[in-house]
Amino acid sequence: MNSSSGWAVLAAIVIAGAVMATPALNAQRGRGGPAGPPPTPRAGAPIDYTGTWVSVVTEDWRWRMVTPPKGDVASVPVNGEGRKAAAAWDLTADNAAGNQCKAFGVGGIMRQPGRVRISWQDDSTLKLEFDAGTQTRLLNFDRTKQAGAEKTWQGFSLAVWEGPGFGRVAEAPPGPGAGQAGSPFPGGGGQGLRGGPPPRGQASIVRGGNVKVVTTNFREGYLRKNGVPYSENATITEYFHRLPTHPNGDNWLNVVTVIEDPRYLNGAYYTSTNFRLEPDGTKFAPTPCQTVAPLPVKTK
Amino acid sequence: MMATPVSAQSFLTGDWANFYHEDQPERGPGPALGDYTGLPLNAAARQYADSWDASRLTLPEHQCRAHVAPYIYRGPIRVRITEEIDPGTQTVIAIRHFLSTYAQERIIWLDGREHPPEEAPHTWMGFSTGEWQGRMLKVRTTHMKQGWHRRNGIPMSAKATMTEYFFRHGNILTQLSIVEDPVFLEEPLVKTTNLALDVGGPNAYQAWLFCQADDEVPGRDPAYVPHYAPGENPYLTEFASQHGLPVEPTRGGAQTMYPEYMKKVRTMPIAPAPARR
Repeated sequence: MNSSSGWAVLAAIVIAGAVMATPALNAQRGRGGPAGPPPTPRAGAPIDYTGTWVSVVTEDWRWRMVTPPKGDVASVPVNGEGRKAAAAWDLTADNAAGNQCKAFGVGGIMRQPGRVRISWQDDSTLKLEFDAGTQTRLLNFDRTKQAGAEKTWQGFSLAVWEGPGFGRVAEAPPGPGAGQAGSPFPGGGGQGLRGGPPPRGQASIVRGGNVKVVTTNFREGYLRKNGVPYSENATITEYFHRLPTHPNGDNWLNVVTVIEDPRYLNGAYYTSTNFRLEPDGTKFAPTPCQTVAPLPVKTK
Repeated sequence: MMATPVSAQSFLTGDWANFYHEDQPERGPGPALGDYTGLPLNAAARQYADSWDASRLTLPEHQCRAHVAPYIYRGPIRVRITEEIDPGTQTVIAIRHFLSTYAQERIIWLDGREHPPEEAPHTWMGFSTGEWQGRMLKVRTTHMKQGWHRRNGIPMSAKATMTEYFFRHGNILTQLSIVEDPVFLEEPLVKTTNLALDVGGPNAYQAWLFCQADDEVPGRDPAYVPHYAPGENPYLTEFASQHGLPVEPTRGGAQTMYPEYMKKVRTMPIAPAPARR
């Protein structure tokens, strides 16, 4: 084959491919008529995070399940000022000043053992209620919303869906039609899980998407119960991942938290925290912000 | 297997280095004897770990035992992730993890092959198959040798299986593992490990490449296996006393992983101070 005929063949393949792809594209766009208004973040939510989730503490146990000793900053990339502030932690003074919630602010709440109840407050706001410290976070998908004038423990959070195809199709068509033209998923509809289309709510989970949350306008607080600090000028970014249902029926939520705080940290501080979905909310038991004093360490 | 987008197939490749923003004392220097915190151990695992003597590591048979796949990412490590590409179709048929610790290599097959029968050989890294779920790689691993869930003697059985999810945000790669061990765990063990993209790191991974077993305790009876008989390990409460903890939560168990357990801990007596030796 000479070079000119080779290019001709290649061009034919490209054109044929484009023609073959057209029905699928049209199907994705809908058939006929003008496009309607985009769905609300709630209606178009590609992943269902709602429900009551319990933290499962398999990591950092002795820094999360009990109050660690003062000055114990193990694993946290604190700088000199952070180390100094942690060493100066005074629980009694915090309580006297009404700062009981410093360990339950946005920089520390995910690591507090407890339950988080997730629901939609309205069409564009995902609400996270924590029984630890009776705290509430609002994840705003409405990008026009702005932070209030006053800084709060939980700050102001803007959220966005991330992942392939988000904003295009929220759910795979149910039933045996999954996988045909118009579906965002290739193959037979099993999406790699084998055995047919996923149940409702699973469609986008198996696409590996997540919610990204950036939080600002918060009060200074503690990364850990023992006063390891973060400042109000820190940047807090989180990624919420819901995993596909495990074969044993468990549903897992993983939250990767990235805290950047030049005042107290040498570099970004990464944690990843795991929660398991509970069958109902009966174990959700709000408690006030309260930090128990560290247990005495006996070294002699 | 139906091909997934090329972008999804390539964004995990590169060199990744571990860092320890969780459990640094355990994962870096190493876990204390008797520290079983946060692990859903059953009684059999606890008994096994209680009898474990760190001197076992000096035995020639143990010196080159690699960490098994569920644990190896937790310790000091660099991971080089590459792809195996079918030259004919240019399809990614496997992902390779070269793990600097003990120079281990995992192959995660993406070509839809089945896992081997149960009686097939077991290895430190096991047999892994994967599938892309959007930008998240799901991996299923079976056929692992007996190893440990933590390197202070807490055993993992050869019947353990692992499901992993790998996802990346910026220059951070997160590995989430769910390990099920019907012999030694009361519930699945879920862990997450973060690795940082190591651009400009060393090209060669020589430091950890080779392990040569040697006689580390000359004159010892070659048939002797260091151990503690039941009830005779004197070190099991040291970790609790050093950190101001009651002994019971340091013994592990599924109930210790849940928030309700915090209240129980407050009612328990703190471990006595370590005895002077």
